[in-house]
Amino acid sequence: MADDAFEAVVGSHHAEIRRYLLRVTARASDADDLSQETFLRAFRAFRGLPPGANVRAWLFAIATNLGRNHFRALARRRRAYAVAARDASPAAAAGADGRAMADEAQTRIAEVIAGLPEKQRLAFVMRKMHELDYADIGASLQCSEDSARAHVFQALRKVRRGLDGHLSLAMESRT
Amino acid sequence: MSEDVSCRAIEPELATVAAGEGRAGAAERVERHVARCAPCRDELERYRAVEGMLGSLRRAPLADDDATLSRAQLASRLADLRSRILGFAVFPSPLGRVLIGRSEQGVAVVQYVPEGGALPAHVRRLLGDDAVEDRAATEDLWAELLEYLRGDRARLEWPLDLRRMRSDFQRRVLEATAALPYGAVTSYAGIAMRIGVPAAARPVAQALRWNPLPIIIPCHRVIGSAGTLTGYAGHRVDLKQRLLAVEGVKTVAAGGALRIRREAMYCLVNGEREYCLPSCGSALTDSLAGLTLFGTRAGAEAAGLQPCGSCRPDLHPLAA
Repeated sequence: MADDAFEAVVGSHHAEIRRYLLRVTARASDADDLSQETFLRAFRAFRGLPPGANVRAWLFAIATNLGRNHFRALARRRRAYAVAARDASPAAAAGADGRAMADEAQTRIAEVIAGLPEKQRLAFVMRKMHELDYADIGASLQCSEDSARAHVFQALRKVRRGLDGHLSLAMESRT
Repeated sequence: MSEDVSCRAIEPELATVAAGEGRAGAAERVERHVARCAPCRDELERYRAVEGMLGSLRRAPLADDDATLSRAQLASRLADLRSRILGFAVFPSPLGRVLIGRSEQGVAVVQYVPEGGALPAHVRRLLGDDAVEDRAATEDLWAELLEYLRGDRARLEWPLDLRRMRSDFQRRVLEATAALPYGAVTSYAGIAMRIGVPAAARPVAQALRWNPLPIIIPCHRVIGSAGTLTGYAGHRVDLKQRLLAVEGVKTVAAGGALRIRREAMYCLVNGEREYCLPSCGSALTDSLAGLTLFGTRAGAEAAGLQPCGSCRPDLHPLAA
């Protein structure tokens, strides 16, 4: 019954919600706690969810709400992580020659993201890393779809500005 | 030139076109603008490059992206929540609105709630943080409760979740109360005797006052030592009277209070296996604490008792 359906929800979405929280909190332990808390809350409310609801977007909204208080206290930690990430930067999908450049650019992106105002950061990660619709991002952040677009654009513009000096190389490697 | 837009205004559209998500007409506007404006043409390319990097970042493996342990912890926390979580609903009944809450373990909360408005604070405390409204989970219980209140059912054989007890003392009091047969009454002091603390009549009354499961744990069968129906669900002695009436225990109004008619009830001296007429031997003089009183012979016999061989209540039944 409802419990089995919820097991399926956990199976389909827990890893992604944790990844989202990992991206925005930058700490595995926070991502663990908050992702679990997200699903415990979701379990309580699951019976009341209308049939046909977008469960994934609903879970992102719960995770976002849960995280927002948490995030405020973490502003300093995030910046520290961005520096640490320089040493543990993920492998980039670029070719061998472009690799060092891509790693550096991605570290720079991570730093800029970490320094964004909260709503911009959340909106940006939801859109650019998890490809959520603007309407769902708006629902998560309790703002309009247009505001969600504006948050993503403001974030994107900062990321773009933050990459001055990295982009000419990247543009050459694209051609 | 007239329909052209400034470089500042076009930037959001450069970004959305670079991301492949421009709205109607955006691609054309951007195209017209960058055809004439070299800096914005470069800017569009930079946004495309950023999108390319973001795409790589999205696909790149993430450090610490192993959810296995977290998933296992979640499974255990969910199992714990499932065992604690209460599904509850409020139903109408002949006694007014009644809230029924059950967990995976059993029925945990039955409470009278006032008409309309929010749930009273003590009820919300009993429900705790992990309660969700769930009519489907409690409807069958409501149906049985209605049968009980109509007198069509003498037992509610529900598995109980007794984790909301306030203390071990309260648990003992409620267990002793739960053992009182249908159609029988005793006094607070009688319960105190049964749990081996004969002086604790008042603490017993307090423990029953916070009974999380009235009706189911029949605190309405516990009365004052003078035979008066005292305290029930706040000041709802009328509910106590109705519950007792369903079970065949009659009450009369006397001196501003409701009381049982001890002289019209069959008696069991605690520890005996035979029930007596109220005029028989020690039943006549003992305090209510040492007795269990039955409203009907049928009640006493349903509790497994035999008629007393001396006073023969079976041959000389009390007038109905």
